[in-house]
Amino acid sequence: MMIALLVAVSMLTFGAMSLLGDPLFNILGPVAGDTENPENLAKINAAKEQYYLDKPLPERYVRWAGDFLTGDFGVQFSTDGQPPVANLIKERLPRTLRLMVMAQILAVAIAIPWGVLAASRANKPSDRISTFTAFLFVSLPNFALAVILFYVFALKLDWLPDTYNATDPFFGFTHKHRFTQLLLPAFTLALPTASVYQRLLRTDLITTLQEDFILMARAKGESRRKVLYGHALRPSLFSVVTIFGINAGALIGGALVVEIYFRIPGVGTAIVEAVLREDFPVVLALVMIIATGFVVLNFLVDILYTFIDPRVRR
Amino acid sequence: MTDTLKPTDVEILDASDQVPADSIAKKKLGIGFWLAISWLVFIVGLAVFAPVLPLKDPDQNFIQTEEKENAITGRVTESPIQPPYAPSGDHLFGTDSDARDVLSRTIYGARVSLVVGFAAIAFGMLIGGSLGMIAGFFGGTFDKVVSFLFLVLLSFPALVLAILITTLAERSLFTISLTLGILAVAPVGRLARAATLVFAEREFVAASRTLGAKPSRILRREILPNVMIPMSALALLGMGVSIVAEGALAFLGLSVEKGSTWGKLIRTAVNSTSDLENAPWMAFTPIGALFLTVMALNFAGDRLRDYFDVKELSI
Amino acid sequence: MSESPLLVVEDYHVGFRTETGLAKAVDGVSFTLNRGQTLGIVGESGSGKSVLNRGFMGLVSSSRMIESGSVLFDGQQIVNQDRQDLWGKRIAMIFQDPMTSLNPVMKVGKQIFEPLRRHLNMDKGQARERAIELLTSVGIPSPAQRLSQYPHELSGGMRQRVMIAIALAAEPEMLVADEPTTALDVTVQKYILDLLRELQQEHGMAMTLITHDLGVARGRTDEVMVMYGGRKLEHAATETLFADMHHPYTEALLASTPSLAHPKHTRLFPIPGSPPDIVDPPPGCRFSPRCMYAQDRCTTDNPETTSLTDHEYACFYPVGSDAGAEALKHNQDAGQTATGLKIGRAKEGAH
Repeated sequence: MMIALLVAVSMLTFGAMSLLGDPLFNILGPVAGDTENPENLAKINAAKEQYYLDKPLPERYVRWAGDFLTGDFGVQFSTDGQPPVANLIKERLPRTLRLMVMAQILAVAIAIPWGVLAASRANKPSDRISTFTAFLFVSLPNFALAVILFYVFALKLDWLPDTYNATDPFFGFTHKHRFTQLLLPAFTLALPTASVYQRLLRTDLITTLQEDFILMARAKGESRRKVLYGHALRPSLFSVVTIFGINAGALIGGALVVEIYFRIPGVGTAIVEAVLREDFPVVLALVMIIATGFVVLNFLVDILYTFIDPRVRR
Repeated sequence: MTDTLKPTDVEILDASDQVPADSIAKKKLGIGFWLAISWLVFIVGLAVFAPVLPLKDPDQNFIQTEEKENAITGRVTESPIQPPYAPSGDHLFGTDSDARDVLSRTIYGARVSLVVGFAAIAFGMLIGGSLGMIAGFFGGTFDKVVSFLFLVLLSFPALVLAILITTLAERSLFTISLTLGILAVAPVGRLARAATLVFAEREFVAASRTLGAKPSRILRREILPNVMIPMSALALLGMGVSIVAEGALAFLGLSVEKGSTWGKLIRTAVNSTSDLENAPWMAFTPIGALFLTVMALNFAGDRLRDYFDVKELSI
Repeated sequence: MSESPLLVVEDYHVGFRTETGLAKAVDGVSFTLNRGQTLGIVGESGSGKSVLNRGFMGLVSSSRMIESGSVLFDGQQIVNQDRQDLWGKRIAMIFQDPMTSLNPVMKVGKQIFEPLRRHLNMDKGQARERAIELLTSVGIPSPAQRLSQYPHELSGGMRQRVMIAIALAAEPEMLVADEPTTALDVTVQKYILDLLRELQQEHGMAMTLITHDLGVARGRTDEVMVMYGGRKLEHAATETLFADMHHPYTEALLASTPSLAHPKHTRLFPIPGSPPDIVDPPPGCRFSPRCMYAQDRCTTDNPETTSLTDHEYACFYPVGSDAGAEALKHNQDAGQTATGLKIGRAKEGAH
C-alpha cells in the first residue's frame, strides 16, 4: 500500500513536471533553442542522450525510478556544472529537519501541560480562556504568525536575531547561535501545532478523566499530579498521535512558508526555487523525499499506537 | 410486562446513579456563532459593494505635502512627504509606501481572497463530494480506486502540490481557485464517503431500496440531504483553509498575478524589514482582516459541527 | 469491644445543582459502622447508595456537588474536608466494573505497586514481593507472571481479584465495595463475594457492600440498610431483616431481583414504575407512588423512622403488622392504591 502510494505520487509529479517545459533550456541555456548551428545541435543531442531526454516518457520514468531507488537522485539541471541533486539534499535537508524537530518538540512541550491543565479544570474560566487562546492560534495562518512574532520579538523587543545567516550557520557558529536563529521560525510552526494538539488532548483527557480507572486511581490515594500524568495522559494521546501524522503535511507546508520568510536555506526554499526555475530532477527528488517522509511518518504513527495502548498489540 | 431485570439493564440504569456530568451543555449555536456569521456577512458585504461604497480609490497615490522652508533662500515651498503615512483621520489604517490607502486596498483585496476561497471549496464540494458519495454508496472497485486517489492527493504536502500546479499554468484567478479546489477534493471526498457509508446503512435508505427506488434517486433524495449536514460545517472550515492557502501561495509570490489579495498585500508589506518596522499598519491591517475572517469561518464551522454532532470531522 | 465506631454518619446530605433545581441524591441518611463489621447498602439504581459512599469518601469530583451533615471517620469530621490522605491508606474502594476500573495501559504489577510504594514506602523489591503475596491471597494462580500482564489479558473475575488486591494493599481500616460483582458472571459472583467476606474478617476491616441485590447481602453482611430516593427506608441486622422485613419496598425489592439466593426459575415481580425524581420528589413517603400498601396518608405525610432494638424502618403500614395487612386488603378490594397504582390479586409471597 505504502509503495503503491509512493509510486502514484512519483508518477503524478513526474508527469506534471514533464508537461512543464523543456529541461534542455535549464541545462544548456539559450543554446538549447539553436538547432541551426551544428556545433550546438551536437551539444543538444549529447545532452539529450546523457539525460535520456529523447526517450519516451514511460521509459524516462522507469529509468528515473531505478536511479532513485539506488540512491541516485540525478543532477541539478539549472545549476552550472549540473552538480548532483544529492549534494543539495545533503546541504538543505538537515536544516529543515532540525527546524521541524525543534518545532515538534516545542509543540509537544507546550501542548501536554497546557492540555492537562485545561482538562483538569474543564469548563472553569481558566479553561475557557485557554480554549479561546488555542482557537486563536489555530485560526492564525503560519505566515501571519511569522510576521507577528518577527515584528514583536526581533524588531520591537530585539531579543532574537532578525536575520538568518545563510553563510553556513550550522558550522561556523556556536550552538547557542544556531538555537536562537531557529527559535523564531520554530515557534512560528510550534504555536499553531501546539494549539491543535492541546484541543485534541483536552477533549480526550476530559473523556478519560470520567473513566472508572481514574476514580480507582484517586481512590488508591494517588496524588492529583500522578493521576493526571501517570494514569490519564497516556490513554488520552490517541487523537494527538493520529493528528501527528495527518498534520505532518501541514507542518511541511508551514515549514516551507516559514523558511522563505525567515530566509532559511532549507528544503522548502529549495523546492520553491526549483519550481520557479523548472528544475525537473530537483523538484522530483524533493517531492519524493517529502512524500516518503510523510508516508513513513504515518507508518510510524501506527507503531506508536501499540506503544500507547497494549490492547492494539496483536 | 417483563419478568426479569437483566443485568444489562442494571448497567444502563446505573449511569443515573453516578455523578451527573459537569458538561451537559444544551445544544445551542450560541452568540459566538452569530457574531462570526455577522462578521462574515459584513466582510462579504464590504467586498461586494466596494465599488459603490464611499471608499478611496485603492490604486490612487495620496501624496501628502508639507510646507518646507528652504534654509538658504528662506522661501517656503510645498514638498512631498515620503510615504508610508501613519493612520490618521484621512487614512484610518494609514497608507502603504506608494501612499495608497491601506483600508480600501484591504477591502478590495477581500474581493479576490473571498472569491478564491469560495470557488475552491465549491469545486472541492462538487467533485470531492460527488466522488465520495458515489464511492461510498456503490463500493466495489470504483470505491477502491477513488479512495486510493484521495490517499495519493493527501500524501502530497498540500502546499507543494499547489506550487506544482501553479507553476504549470499562468496564475489567473481561475487556475488558483482550481488548484486550491483540487486540494479540497480529497478531504471533502473522504468525509462525504464516510458519511454516505453511515447513511447507506440507515433504515430509511433500506426502506426505499426495498420499495424499488433507483440508486440515483436514493443518492439524490435520501443520502444527499443527510450528507449535506456534516458537509456544511466542512464547507465553512474548508473555505477558511482555502483562504489561508491562497495567502500562503501569495506569500510565496505564487498567487494571482493581477489584482490584489490579502496574501499579496501582506507580502508587499513585509518584503522589507524597515517597512514592517516603521509602518506596521501596512502588514497588520490585511493580517487582521484575514485573521478575523478565518477565525469566523473556523468558529462557525466548529459550532455547526458540534451542533450536528459530526464526529468524523477534525482539523 | 467497647471501641468507638469507625464511621458515624449523621443526617448526611448530598445534592447536585442542576438546571432544574437541586437534585437531592442523598437526603438525610444516618448510620454507624463498627470496626470489623459489614454493612450492606441495598437499593435500586438511583437510590443514592453509590453517591452516599462516594460522597462521604470525597470522591465526587463535581463542582455542582454540595454535601452537608456530619461524618466522623475514626472520630474526625470529614465532611467538606480534603480526604485525600484517607484514600487507599485508610479507606479503600473497589468498583463495579473490573473491565473499566483498571488502567488499560498500565501493567497489573505497577497498579499494585503504586499504593504499596506510596502508602507503605516500600522499595521496588519489597513491593514486588508483597504484590505476589497479595495476589496469592486473593486466589490468583501464578501471581508473579500476572505482574507483567496488562488488564485485558486477564478474565473479568481475575481483574476483580486484582482490584481487591490493590484495595487491600495498604491494609485499610475500611473498604467500600461498590457493586463488586454486578458486572461479573453469575458463577464468578459467589466466589468474589465470599472472598471479600473472608478477607474482611481476616483483616478486621469495616466494609460497606453496595448492591442492588438483597440476596447478595444475605449471609455476607452484619447489617443491611435499604435506601430509596436518597433516603433510608429500613435498617436492621441482616438476620432480623430477612426474618422479619417491615418496609414494603424491601419486600418488593426482594421479590423483584433475580439473585443468588433464589432457586432457579423463581417467578420475579418487578416493582412497577420508576425511581422518584430527586429534584422534585413526591410528597409524603417517596415510595408511595409504587407501593401496594399506599394509603391517603402516605401521599401527604412522611413517615417517621420507627426504631426497635436492632431494627429501624420508616413506614405507616409496615409489612407483617395489622395495619399493613389491613392496608393491603383495602387496596386489593379497591383494585388500586391511594396513588392510583392498579393492583390485581394478592401477590404471592416472595419467599
